[in-house]
Order: sequence, then C-alpha cells, then structure tokens
Amino acid sequence: MRTEMALKRVALISIGMGAGFCAGLALLPIAYGDDLAGSQKALQRFGEAYNVVRERYVEQPEDKTMIEGAINGMMSNLDPHSSYFDPKAFADITVKTEGQYGGVGLVISAETGVVKVVQPIDDTPGSRAGIKKDDIISAIDGVTMMGKNLDQVQQKLRGLAGSKVTLTITRAGVKDPFDVKIVRAAIQVESVKYKREGDVGYIRIPAFNEQTVAGVEHAIRDLKAQIGPGIKGYIVDLRDDGGGVLEGAIGVSDAFLDGGEVVSTRGRRPQDTERYDAKAGDIAEGRPVVVLVNGGTASASEIVAGALQDHKRAIIMGTTSFGKGSVQTITPLDNGEEGALHMTTARYFTPSGRSIQATGIVPDIAVASNKDDPDESILFNETESILPHHLLPDDNKPPLAQTAPIKPDPAKTYDDFQLSYAVGYLDGKTKSRAVAATKTTGAGGN
Amino acid sequence: MNRIALVSVGAAAGFAAAFMLFPMAHGATDGSYHQLDLFRAAFDLVRKDYVRPVSDTELVNNSIEGMVSGLDPHSSYMDAKAFNDLKIQTTGQFGGLGLEVTQEDGLVKVIAPIDDTPAAHAGLKTGDFIGGIDGVPIQGISLDDAISKMRGQPGTKVTITILRPGAKKPFDVALTRAVIAVDAVKYHREGDLGYIRLPTFNEKTDQGLEQAVRDLKRQIGPGLKGYVLDLRNNPGGLLDEAVAVSDDLLNSGGIVTTKGRTAGDNSRYDARGGDITDGKPIVVLINAGTASASEIVAGALKDDKRATVIGMTSFGKGSVQTILPLQPGNGALRLTTARYYTPSGHSIQALGIAPDIAVAQGDENDAATKLQRESEANLPGHLAGEKQNKKEVPPVKAPAGKKFDDFQLSYALDLLHGKPMKSADAN
Repeated sequence: MRTEMALKRVALISIGMGAGFCAGLALLPIAYGDDLAGSQKALQRFGEAYNVVRERYVEQPEDKTMIEGAINGMMSNLDPHSSYFDPKAFADITVKTEGQYGGVGLVISAETGVVKVVQPIDDTPGSRAGIKKDDIISAIDGVTMMGKNLDQVQQKLRGLAGSKVTLTITRAGVKDPFDVKIVRAAIQVESVKYKREGDVGYIRIPAFNEQTVAGVEHAIRDLKAQIGPGIKGYIVDLRDDGGGVLEGAIGVSDAFLDGGEVVSTRGRRPQDTERYDAKAGDIAEGRPVVVLVNGGTASASEIVAGALQDHKRAIIMGTTSFGKGSVQTITPLDNGEEGALHMTTARYFTPSGRSIQATGIVPDIAVASNKDDPDESILFNETESILPHHLLPDDNKPPLAQTAPIKPDPAKTYDDFQLSYAVGYLDGKTKSRAVAATKTTGAGGN
Repeated sequence: MNRIALVSVGAAAGFAAAFMLFPMAHGATDGSYHQLDLFRAAFDLVRKDYVRPVSDTELVNNSIEGMVSGLDPHSSYMDAKAFNDLKIQTTGQFGGLGLEVTQEDGLVKVIAPIDDTPAAHAGLKTGDFIGGIDGVPIQGISLDDAISKMRGQPGTKVTITILRPGAKKPFDVALTRAVIAVDAVKYHREGDLGYIRLPTFNEKTDQGLEQAVRDLKRQIGPGLKGYVLDLRNNPGGLLDEAVAVSDDLLNSGGIVTTKGRTAGDNSRYDARGGDITDGKPIVVLINAGTASASEIVAGALKDDKRATVIGMTSFGKGSVQTILPLQPGNGALRLTTARYYTPSGHSIQALGIAPDIAVAQGDENDAATKLQRESEANLPGHLAGEKQNKKEVPPVKAPAGKKFDDFQLSYALDLLHGKPMKSADAN
C-alpha cells in the first residue's frame, strides 16, 4: 500500500474519468499579483468589460454572479476536466467526501452534450429502477440535461438519501421518452468481484476506491485456495472502469509488480512532479496476467494497464482505452467561501515515459467485443482525443501502432468474447491465431 | 431614425447591429473590488499552476465570455477578431447553411432554419442541437466559433451531427454551403387576398414589404380583401425595421417602448400617419419560432386591434441587445441593455405574444417538440418576465381526415373571407 506516499502530498488528486470519484482539498496559499506585470493589459481588458456590464446591462448585475461566470468561463475552456466549483458545489463535495450523500447509483458520461448511462451500479436505486447501460438521461426533475456538463448533471442526481428524483429516459428502441422515479440512497462503493474460470482466476475491478487494493489481494488469495497450484494465470478486468483514487491504482499495480516505477506525474508546480514505485513482492507469484481494457477504461485504470504493460508483467487485451491521463487538483478560493478551482495540474506518464493523455493504452492484442455496435455515431464512442480543447499528450512519442482486432466468429454466439478469448489465451486452448497476434503486437512497451 | 445606434433584437447571432460608442464607466464599489481581487487570484493560480502555460489573452477572452454569457442566453463577447468578422458580415452576403442558432450550456441549438437555404432543404428543425461539425464535437466552443465553422465558400461541403431530442441517436446531415442572401420578403396572391412572408428583419425588410403591398394591389386590384402577414419562424433582427413595418400598417399610436437602466436605453416609438394597406383586414400568423422583432410587430398590431393574430404563442424574446465596442483592439460586448414593451405596456419577455385565435399547425405535439419546447422561458438563465396568469385556450385543430398543406394559413384565408373554420374537437 502506498498510502503514506499519497498522504505526503498536500493535495490528494482526483483521477476519475468523471464518474464522481472525488478528491481531497489542496490548501494552497493564494498568490496575489506579484508577477502580474505582463498580464496587466489583459486584466485591464477584463476590468473594462466588467465595468461596461455593470453600467449597461438591463438589470443591475450581481458582482458575485459576474465573477463566478468569469471564473467558470476561464476554467471550463482550459480542458474537458477543469472547472469552477461555486461555493455550493464545493460544499457538496465536502459533504460527499464525508460519506453522507445519497445518489442513484449510475455511472454517467456527459462529454458530448448527451448525458448517457455508462453503467448502472449493481444493487443501487438506479439499477433496481431498471435504468440500463446506454440509456440517455434527457431530463432530471423536468429540467433538460442536453448540453449540461458532468458537474451539473451530478449535482442534480445527488441529494440526501431518501429524497426523490425523476429521470426522463430516452432509450434506443423505445419510441417516446419516459419518466423513472427513483429514491436516492447511500451508494455503496463498488467492490472487487472475482470468480474461477476453469484454471484461470478472473478479477473484475469496477472502480478504484479505498477498498480496491484489499479487495484484489483478498480475491487472489481466495482464487489460489480454490484453484490450487494448477492455477494458470489471472485476468484483471478493467473494462468500463472509469478510474478513481490514485492510491488504488498504485496499490493494484504494486500487487503484481516486484519493483520499479508504476507511474509518474509531471506538471509545472514542483509538487505536481512525482514518481511512484512498486515494492518488492508479487502476490500472483509471476503467473501470467491478462488485463482487459476498452474505451471505457480510463484514468486510474489506465495507470494500472500502462504499468503492467511497460513492465511486460501482463498482456493487455481488448480495445484502446479512453486516454484520460491528466491530474486535477482542487484549490479552494478564500478558504472555500468563494468556491474552488478544479484544475488540471499534471499529466500521467507510464514507466517507459509514455503519456496516457489523449493516446490511451493500446492493447498488445486487440480483441473486439461481441457487443460493439458498428452503427454508433462518433458522438457516442467517446474518447479523450475527440473532446474539444483536450490536452495534448506532450511525450514526443508516436502512438503505438494499432493492429486489426481479432473479431468474434459471426457464426457463434458469445456471452463475452473478450473474456472467452482471454481465458483461452491463459489456459492454452486458444490456437495459432493468438500466437500470431502476440508476435506482431507484443512489443507494446517500447 | 433619430437614434445614433441601431439596436439588434435578433434572437440569435448573425443579425448584426450598428455600434454604440459608450464612455467607460469607472468607480466600482468596495464589493466589486473584492470580486475583482477574487478574479485576479483565480487568474493568477491558473497562470502559475495549470498543467501548461496559457496565454493571458486566451484566459481573459474566456473569462469575459463566461461573465457575459452567464447573464442571459443572448449576451456574449466577441474578441477583436470576431468583432471584425461581424463588421464584414454586415456588409453583405456570405456562404453558409442558413441556420439561426443560439447557444445553451455549450451546445449550439437551432432556433429556426431560414427559408430556402441548405439547412431548410435538409430538414433541420427548430430545437435540434448541433453536436459536431465535420466529425468533430463542438460542445464547449463559443457560438461565434461554431458559426464560423459552418460558414465557408459557397459550394463547399460540411457535415453536421444533429442531436434531436426524442431521436434515438445523433445523426449526420451532409450539406453544401450556399450564398445566404439577406432574406428577402416573399409574397404571392391567394385569390383576392395578399400573402406576405417576412422571414427576418434586416435593412431591406420594410422596403420589401412596401414593394409587396404595391405589387399585390396592382395584381389583385380594387377587389383586394385583405392580407396575411406571415411571421412564423421569423427570429427577429433589427428593431428599426420592426418599427418601420408596424408604422406602415398603423395610422397612429404607440408601437413599442424600450426600457433599460440608462437614459439612452429608454425609447418610445410611435406610428406616423398613413397605412399603406388602406385599412384592409390583416391576419398576422405567429408560432413558437416568432421571436423578438417579429413579436414587436405582432404585439403592436394586436394591441391596436389593427390585425387579428392567429397561430401559437410566440417565443417570448423581449430583450434588446446592443453591440458595445470596448477600447480599440479589445473586441466588443453584445449585451442585453433593455426590455421592450407593447403599446399596452406588456413585456414580451418570457411570455411571448398570445394569439387572438389559437390555431395549431398539427406538428406541435411531436415527441421532440414536447420534450424540448423551444421558448425563451425554457432557456437557462433567461430574464424574468412579468407575472401573468396565462389562460391557455385549447387551439383550433385541423379536422381529422382532411389533409392540409398549411392549416394555419388555410384558417387565416378562411377568416379573411369571413368564414372561420370549426375546430376538429372544439365544442
């Protein structure tokens, strides 16, 4: 566990793709204009506009509203993950980290103006109400969500446990939008799941939180006990894992690595440039590992995939990951009285120095899903690199070549082709095709 | 017109205004100094700590845009380049798609396709969102940037991705840019009635109306029974043209008043003598796409009882935007500076003009329209209107089993002939 490493930093950092995994607070002194000489002219332009609005706007504008609008405009145009938390949003986050808050239990994305359900979390009000993956939330309590950003949507979804919220759902194949009433509940953080697949151990990590490392360690111990010494290897399923806390990603990588770098961050502030290393000891005792990734694998998940790929500790299978390789820090303004800046301050780099940002993790063996819908518009296949104003990778490395994916046999039906393929790969039942694929794409770490 | 500044009352970008030079105001209060300090602190943090260096110009542009666009859906900032483009654009024609658009939470939304343009031919609709241009999502970019991406040389191709509320998934529409002529007034004879459509209010609109009336009088002769003035899906434009059009049809009385916070923003416009239609009956057609300058005309003719207004309640954009240039090189604000009021003193803002006779076209209850009923009152951050107890009268509907090309127009023509249709389900 690398908790001590994380606590050493003043700021805990948020690395969720945006599924609501939040951050601690960076208590940084606010620097007042000591080196602003060069920007005086720009600030004067701002002051001029501010004065014109105060003088001429049809109603006397609130100074506070104007400045909140200005800071919001400045932040939200930096990149898709930077934003301004107004005092209320900031207070909500503080409450949320104390665990008092209720929600509906939906992992959502809102990156292209459409609020879409990425995954209903098992055993939550959302999944019990029948909300499905790929449903579009067109309105919440009668207010349209078209064009809203993730923060705004999450604020509407959250509320006290026991309170009610009505979602208007647009579902493919259903003609008219329909309303679903949901009672919010405290959402149990998603836990690690595992099962035996023949002689292979399967471990699913739905998100990275404070319990994830312990969950993975427990899963491996139990799978070893169930399968015995004949265990052929492990599958770590990171598909649709939108990320979570950094310590979880480092701890899980560490569990499978015997040493060496896991990840490093680089930013402009000294405290944003840091390197995290693995300790000795591989709880999987060197058994083969396959990591499953897809376009929903983001952030903390990409750190794990990148670290295990660069150290050649695992074969990465699936489709290219999302590409969220940036770190956001929350900086309160005026001790939080005036809200806080949620700002990208660093990028992640894998041990070989590749930036995850915008590029994502390219699988060693590309394997298509049997669930892919080829008709989906680009707007629904979200990746970091298609977001407006996305941050560039900044690693001067060409993206890894991507090979044509191995596709499911159209004559057969599969429950989960990628998983079947991974199991076959580990227990040696998958034939020549996999071997050939390994030869052509296996040099992923370079 | 005796005002130096023309003011823009278009519901959307693209209908430009002339420029008002205003002396800068100084003298902020203590509270506003604290707020400016807060802004400086945030600005400084971003300059120092953001993952990559960002230019001061970019930060301040985005800040001003955020400050202004947060005020209401019609206020925005143009940086120096956008302001220059605007000046060029007002001088003539451009290659484009023919969409009137606005912005909502970072998404570009269609107010109305302009008649007889590539957008209208391709079937784009009021309430559609534009999610991408040429395969690139455009959420979060400024309205001006989105507009400039849609514009280009006539004949060139562009693909836009449409998110239509109620549609299962986004879909692409391929369009070829065309010269978007400043919309001309259209008219034709309908038997012994004159039909005149004003698609927008630009410098040529009043002139076009006068020409249309002269020509229809000549075509139909003394048996001319009346006129239909079609303002449906007219998103507005120049205030002065709305005043001139109203004036042409009124003999006297008020047309509109504007009220803001400075003396220069308070004006009253009255009709001069002379009605170019010689007092013949007029029916004005409106719908939810009738906005702004169009609502001034509808409101003035309705209050004076000069016309019978039929159709559906209008959009409800009762605010005036003025282009306020900052110091040279600093761009300009397009800022809401006043509300306007009909002669009887009603604000149009957020309420719209209610028709004298509600007549439905028949497409109002599409799932898409219901989910996303387009009106000022539904826009986030809209200016509040007056409180009013709305008496919703169920609209007249087309009789079942009968096909109408344009039911509202058919209704208007029958009304002018003195035989109003019965509603399908009115009793």
